Amino acid sequence: MDKRRLRAISGFWRRVDSLALRTTLVVLVGIGLVHVASLWIYQHSLTRELDLATEARLADQLVAIKRAVMRVPGPERETVAHEMSGGPIEAHWSRTEHAVAGGAGSADWDALGRRLREIAPEIAEEGLVIGANRRVADDPHLALISIRLPDQSWINVSLVAWNPRVPAGHGTLLSTTLMALGAIIVSVLLVSWLTRPLTGFAEASKDLYRSRKTILVPEDGPREVRALAVAFNDMQRRIGRLIDDRTQALAAVSHDLKTPITRLRFRIEDVAEPEVRAAVAADLDEMERMLNQTLAYLRGDRADEEVKPVDVVAILETITDDASDRGQSVTLDGAGNASVPGRRLALKRAFGNLLDNAIKYGRKAEVIVEDKQNSVLVTIRDHGPGIAPGDVERALAPFVRLEPSRNQETGGFGLGLTIAQAIIDGHGGTLALASHRDGGLLVSVELPKPQRAA
Amino acid sequence: MSRDLVEHPQPAKGPLAPLFEILVVDDDGEILSLVARFLRANGFRVHTARSGPEMNEALRHATIDLIVLDLMLPGRSGLDLCRDLRRTSSIPVIMLTAKGEETDRIIGLEVGADDYLPKPFNPRELLARINAVLRRARTMEPGASGQTGRAFLFGGWRLDTLKRELANPEGIVVDLSTGEYDLLLAFLEAPQRVLTREFLLDAARNRSIDAFDRSIDVQVSRLRRKLDNAEELIKTVRGAGYLFAADVIRG
Repeated sequence: MDKRRLRAISGFWRRVDSLALRTTLVVLVGIGLVHVASLWIYQHSLTRELDLATEARLADQLVAIKRAVMRVPGPERETVAHEMSGGPIEAHWSRTEHAVAGGAGSADWDALGRRLREIAPEIAEEGLVIGANRRVADDPHLALISIRLPDQSWINVSLVAWNPRVPAGHGTLLSTTLMALGAIIVSVLLVSWLTRPLTGFAEASKDLYRSRKTILVPEDGPREVRALAVAFNDMQRRIGRLIDDRTQALAAVSHDLKTPITRLRFRIEDVAEPEVRAAVAADLDEMERMLNQTLAYLRGDRADEEVKPVDVVAILETITDDASDRGQSVTLDGAGNASVPGRRLALKRAFGNLLDNAIKYGRKAEVIVEDKQNSVLVTIRDHGPGIAPGDVERALAPFVRLEPSRNQETGGFGLGLTIAQAIIDGHGGTLALASHRDGGLLVSVELPKPQRAA
Repeated sequence: MSRDLVEHPQPAKGPLAPLFEILVVDDDGEILSLVARFLRANGFRVHTARSGPEMNEALRHATIDLIVLDLMLPGRSGLDLCRDLRRTSSIPVIMLTAKGEETDRIIGLEVGADDYLPKPFNPRELLARINAVLRRARTMEPGASGQTGRAFLFGGWRLDTLKRELANPEGIVVDLSTGEYDLLLAFLEAPQRVLTREFLLDAARNRSIDAFDRSIDVQVSRLRRKLDNAEELIKTVRGAGYLFAADVIRG
């Protein structure tokens, strides 16, 4: 039972995962507890004060009654006692005591008796009994104080509704609500002020990942956040330098390989056997493709081409014509024209990579262009094994190939999709990979058109 | 499959001087000797130079028909050399570079190079381009090549030869394959003339180094499709070939 409750609380805590919400909750509970505790202490001490005052007044009254009754002779005593009654007190004179100690509420009456003896010892000089009325049923609100006089007769004082309490007003509820409201406002303000820099951190790290650009976060705010910002910026700079170094090394190697490949291209002209010459030429072609892919990847979307209205269909026609010239099974259907603002060569590379991929893994490919109102949608469907939904993210990552067993056969090294995605992103478009319901991979590329001012 | 291209007959210079003279400028000695040997084997007279001063020296001592110029040279770069050369001479220049960026190509053409070849290139591609540039230099009147018109205008369309970019009358860029580009260029350089299939095949194969022997009819129909199925632009002349029917303005 306890364990279940604990689990429920920790589950609730996990769901309340915003720092602002958590802080508000903690502050609210804390302030609430303190508020309730102080309210209780205040009420308690107030009650005590009031009790003391009431008891003192009661003692005074009892002393006065005792003295007055003692001063008059027997027959008049009852009259005097009756005259001295008032308020919660009703006094009578009689030969016997009416109060019985013990019974319901005796603890209260005993305590009252002790205090009366303390305040006015005179009352209890001859004897004092506090308890329920002998003749009335047990009623804790109706008690009798029997005071013995020196002549062994008694004054019986009945107390009506001996229950002094402080009335709990509406003020308590109002002040509690106001205090809680104030606590919420203050904690929300405080937390948003504290966490604003943190949101900037998240944005900056996302940008670093997405655009490979270091955007430094402002180094201000509280000391701890400032220290974090300095460390974070330092980390960003170091990651940036690392990426730059790697990029430069890779680019340098790629550039330097171009000259030896050119030389080899000339050297194989001397090879007599045509089969060997064709095989070496094919190897060199593949090396060149890999170099170009690497350089295109390193260049990213920082293409130096200018953006112009470009006919996407013409690009796809060029690519699909090339593919069918190479003997591959490719079809192109849909719109006859569809233009978007874009970079022609970059888009050609992106769609070329996507089509190469489709042919490589899916043997044949169907390309469909839709000219929509706000965008141009290109879908490329192949008939290969497709990509499991869980692998989509990995398929788009650089240098990842999903089928290691087919490395040798298919060539390339996992940059095609990455480059395509970078280019499509650079055009503000989206690239989505999904499985076709009849099998095979369905690649959808959506490129936005400029919005005409209405 | 591509040997036949190598054995294609060279454009003859004339009866008195049978060989074209090519100057190859590259600081990589290996490339230099390999290119020189390849071009000699294909019927050219070849001179070599490793730097700007050596290039100028060679230009003083021989009548060079074409320069193959590497962009990265010690001292003055190929771009500077080309710019200097254009002040005094219109010798065709083919630029070589290991940089594959689009801007490099455009800058190379802007300083007056006639063509541009990114490394690693194919020997036969170099040969095809040398032949194409020589043929163009011969057919066009002196001064028309190089720095003059970089664009052709026809029926609202515009072909930018610097950026190798075709734009339709609405200004939308229409992509062309290299074969289609070369075919269109051949039409635009000889409008209102009947061009034989053999001539067009030769022109369109200049760049498509993989030389898939697509029939010229397929290539023409693809080009027509890119030009919005304009039957009236490229007319079929039965039994003879094709004719580009629009007025062409160089601008």
